[in-house]
Amino acid sequence: MFRLDADRAVEFCDGLRRRDFLHAGALTALGLSLTDWFGLRAQGATDGAKDVNCIFLMLVGGPSQLDTFDMKPNAPVEIRGPYKPIKTNVPGIEISENFPRTAKHADKFSLIRGMYHTAAAVHDTGHQMMQTGRLFQGGIEHPHMGCVLSKLKGPQGDVPPHVMLPRTIGNTGGNMPHGQNAGYLGKSFDPFVLNADPSDPNFRVPDLLPPDYLTALRVDRRRNWREMVDRSVSEFETSQDARLLDTTFQKAYTLMSSAKARAAFELHREPENIREKYGLNRFGQSCLLARRLIEAGVRFVTINMFETVFDEITWDIHGSRPFSPISCYRDLVGPMFDMAYSSLLGELAERGLLSNTMVVATGEFGRTPKINPAGGRDHWPQCWTMLMGGGPIKGGQVIGESDEIAAAPRSRPTTPGEIAATVYKGLGIDMSVELPGAQGRPIPLVDRGIEPIGELF
Amino acid sequence: MKHLVFLIAVPLFAQKLAVLPPSVELTGPEARQQLLAQSTSGDFQEDWTRTAQWSSSDPKIAAVDEHGIVHPGERDGEVRITAKANGIAATITVKVQNARAPFTWSFRNHVTPVLTKMGCNSGACHGALAGKNGFKLTLRGYDPEVDYDTLTRQAQGRRVSLADPTQSLVLLKPSFAIPHGGGKRLPKDSLEYRVIAEWIAAGAPPLSNKDAEIRGLEVFPAAAALKPGAEQQIVVRASYSDGHTEDVTRWVKFSSSNEGVATVDDWGRVKMNGSGEAAITLYYSSRVLYSRISTPFPHQITSDRYEKYPRKNFIDDLALAKWKGLHLAPSPVADDSTFLRRAFIDAAGILPNSEDVENFLADRSPDKRTKLIDRLLERDEYVDYWSYKWSDLFLVSTRRLNSTAMWTFYNWIRHSVAQNKPWDQFARDIFLSSGSTRQNGALNYFVLHKDTIELTENATQAFLGQRITCARCHNHPLEKWTQTQYYQMANLFARVGVKNGNEPGDNVIFAKASGDILHPRLARPLAPAPLDAASIPLDSLEDRRVKFAEWLTSPTNHMFARTVVNRVWASLMSRGLVDPADDLRATNPASNEELLAALEKDFVEHGYDIRRLIRTIMNSTLYQLSSAPNETNAADDVYYSKHIIKRLSAEVMLDAMAQVTGSPTAFGGYPAGTRALQLPDTQVKSDFLASFGRPPRILCDAAERSSDPTISQALHVINGDTLNKKLSAPDGTIALFSKLGLSDRRILDHIFLSAYSRYPTDAERDTMLAALEKTRLVKGTDEARRDARRQAIEDMVWALLTNKEFLFNH
Repeated sequence: MFRLDADRAVEFCDGLRRRDFLHAGALTALGLSLTDWFGLRAQGATDGAKDVNCIFLMLVGGPSQLDTFDMKPNAPVEIRGPYKPIKTNVPGIEISENFPRTAKHADKFSLIRGMYHTAAAVHDTGHQMMQTGRLFQGGIEHPHMGCVLSKLKGPQGDVPPHVMLPRTIGNTGGNMPHGQNAGYLGKSFDPFVLNADPSDPNFRVPDLLPPDYLTALRVDRRRNWREMVDRSVSEFETSQDARLLDTTFQKAYTLMSSAKARAAFELHREPENIREKYGLNRFGQSCLLARRLIEAGVRFVTINMFETVFDEITWDIHGSRPFSPISCYRDLVGPMFDMAYSSLLGELAERGLLSNTMVVATGEFGRTPKINPAGGRDHWPQCWTMLMGGGPIKGGQVIGESDEIAAAPRSRPTTPGEIAATVYKGLGIDMSVELPGAQGRPIPLVDRGIEPIGELF
Repeated sequence: MKHLVFLIAVPLFAQKLAVLPPSVELTGPEARQQLLAQSTSGDFQEDWTRTAQWSSSDPKIAAVDEHGIVHPGERDGEVRITAKANGIAATITVKVQNARAPFTWSFRNHVTPVLTKMGCNSGACHGALAGKNGFKLTLRGYDPEVDYDTLTRQAQGRRVSLADPTQSLVLLKPSFAIPHGGGKRLPKDSLEYRVIAEWIAAGAPPLSNKDAEIRGLEVFPAAAALKPGAEQQIVVRASYSDGHTEDVTRWVKFSSSNEGVATVDDWGRVKMNGSGEAAITLYYSSRVLYSRISTPFPHQITSDRYEKYPRKNFIDDLALAKWKGLHLAPSPVADDSTFLRRAFIDAAGILPNSEDVENFLADRSPDKRTKLIDRLLERDEYVDYWSYKWSDLFLVSTRRLNSTAMWTFYNWIRHSVAQNKPWDQFARDIFLSSGSTRQNGALNYFVLHKDTIELTENATQAFLGQRITCARCHNHPLEKWTQTQYYQMANLFARVGVKNGNEPGDNVIFAKASGDILHPRLARPLAPAPLDAASIPLDSLEDRRVKFAEWLTSPTNHMFARTVVNRVWASLMSRGLVDPADDLRATNPASNEELLAALEKDFVEHGYDIRRLIRTIMNSTLYQLSSAPNETNAADDVYYSKHIIKRLSAEVMLDAMAQVTGSPTAFGGYPAGTRALQLPDTQVKSDFLASFGRPPRILCDAAERSSDPTISQALHVINGDTLNKKLSAPDGTIALFSKLGLSDRRILDHIFLSAYSRYPTDAERDTMLAALEKTRLVKGTDEARRDARRQAIEDMVWALLTNKEFLFNH
């Protein structure tokens, strides 16, 4: 009997090496025929030479610009808050004392200090805009950037092209979509969501392997019979949902029958000291897992630092329950980010991966310049700072500047749409590509007139 | 051939022309009205406004320009305005009054709308919470009094210069006479510039309680079927408390509900991009309305397709009317197997067993479908299933209720479903009761929503399908609800008291004698009032909840009945007439408004009877249509011309797997044999239910329940414990097959009947019989052969239960 968890491609009873077989079919499994694929290449939509990947850190809750990366030490105390700036390894760039490790890598990333958005000051709109580049309206839900990449480039090897760790963002109070799926591109380009906590001592991808009592032979027979029984009745032909169900099964089989794909998820293969360096918590281990996934061929990894802002310590420092206090930036959330982010940049650089892996870290908005009566800060989409580095992005720069209390951009105001454009450019995607919307209506990658941030390249 | 048909067909349709609005009154020297030359030819309308020749019978009274805009002339009176195009003419009467009367622009009715249309008070600009560059307006002008003060009194009066109006910052900046961060917004030659300039020149008159108040909007055309690619101008007219009307088209905010069908620009010009229907929504001064614009699908359908359709009740009549308009032909009626399976799932959340299927297929009586529906609605599983649905709606769970309270809440729902309690009584049970939550489970609703704000928002969402959260902080930017309405509504709930009862899990709900919720900006309580209804005095001693309950359940409250009717429809038809099923805001019309209105009327007239509503829908031919597409309706997924297929919900799927395998699911803390749909609480641990989208019951939001397929789900059924353990259960159906010594053929029939409600096809039967036959050739002991056979059956059942035909209700 053959076991599926053998450390090699599995030979099935029909003599085919299943992994190879699946690999050939994988493009179609993603709803992209080979003709499409070559068509896209011909258009120059993808650049096969050296593909750039992306790790996108969604800092759910909305970090306060004044307590992280845009310090205003000369502002009055009710503005500048409790933390002091420290120097970084780039002369002239200072960040909060809460990030001493990150300060040693400032040459690897640039700070964009003029971020703002103009939608409602709720978490959900920011999640939408930062992950898709647009606010949803007119019944159109735009795709997450990682899903666009999946659509345009397809998978690389047996791993899914876009993985979301550890789970999707849940309720953050606004009752709106968070922009974390493929939207109008269709669910076949949705990310693979891990749905498990990588810091759990027994962590594994749920149900990736068959139980002991199921032989590979039987798994294979089941699959064949399933396809045989599947009357290709027309009821299901026009249903997107029904087609998608088949696609998810194909993707599941690809994932489980590839030793390489399975190994990518096996965090226990990492030395203990490396795991500790990233921080033995959900976010830290997700960042480490992201590095492994990129090494295995995943193109885009989205990490949601938190799943909600209620009853959990997060960046959402309103100062009162069920939200978080400002002190958590020093005691918990700050160090968590600092360890994981600095280790990720450091390791990517050491392994030669930073040159083709962008690392983007952003919240959904900033926070009120003035500290509120509860000692916290409230939502403030008018100004915040985000970090970008890796791939073709130049590090060690400050792009844009906020006013004296970090209430509004003073120079080079930057919108979520421009960030999306920058990410797409960094990924090597041609800006003139149009995506297929509902009823075949072409939708430009980013709204017309929006340009990538030139200074970053 | 096609061309011939076209040539012959065209002259058959008499072309008609009409001028819209059909009658116009221009009041005051600044009045104006955009007219439309709207032609009708067969099924289609066309906008001829731009090509028509416009003329007035007396330009001294009213003149009309080449764009169809009519202005008052020098004196009052009546004139006839005529549009001529393509050899046809149409005329309307325009009445002019106060043409020479003194006139000033009003801050409330003109200046604020201009600032809104120019985007000055948008969230991106001066409407932001902190304003912009020291100048802050209220978001989209929701508080004109504050804005008036900001404009005229702050910044040392530089914003509005009475001495020299053209030197006012409010004109200099947006016209870009001096630098403006927001760019050029207000060209000097525009009407909008003139409105502000003349208002200042007139001394910047403040708001007055004599200002006419807006009473309503009208839209022209209210509905139109247009040809592919056609354009259409939309005209919007506002009416005011003093009886006059104004053309406000220029200052309306437009948007399209479906940009794949139609797009609309800032000036109300619509362009068709695809087939189907879109609502062009209009927002002006906290009033909303929409125009329904459609383009039929590109099919030629002969009338006999509609005549042959077996109409059973009003649902069928209204669906037919829709399909005719959109050129869609309905799929045929589904076969008995498909209908039977669908009816069991939708009415009771279970599958028919093999005996049910064989009996139904053998039954020759013509009314067997109706009789089956009646029987299903009397089953205990019907009560389980619909209690579960309402428990989703009322957020029953031990997340915030202790176990006792959760059970009393659930039991009240279950008891109500069992006795088919009318829906209005459901609501009154909650809002008209006081006392112990132990004795009256409905009252746990108030334990779950102790906070007045939360209670207000949940009640409006659960019973009225309205999301009013935005209005908590400011007038809803694109909806009709104002902050004032929000706090008037909230104040209805300000005197709900909750105190501890005699034992754990018991609370006492009572009406407090005092207490108000304050409007945050005005810092005072507002007279309590339901949405769009009369208020009661603040000092009234009556229980405010009673007032709410009376208004809520009044037959004239359309939102109440419409909301639940749409929920039930969505449950049976896989998609709400209004979609999302719980988003009934005024600008989200149904895909078939006439049908939803008729269902609502029928529901109210028959005493809010849920079971009757379900029966009516299920007995319609519409419900019983096949989900297989024909050559016209593959692209239709909203007008029900074919049945919309839907993945089984997590709970139904798990129960169905348990039913077919004869292996019940074990739920911690619940007796053996409890089905997923009998669980009162969504906190019960189940990896399967969580993975397949069971709602957590935290928010009142239909989107909490997910039916999206994921790789994790596929991995779970391939490798996970749930299904695999059911297949190999020692006391399950598969084990029973060997014990009973059933023939291979009978086993196959049984599993196909119980999983798919049909017999296997010949091809399926042959393949599987051959596979079972092969197990008899396995070398070794009898036991080895028995094992091989059993494993083969397990694998067959697995293949059946992971298939689309099983996982979908089709």
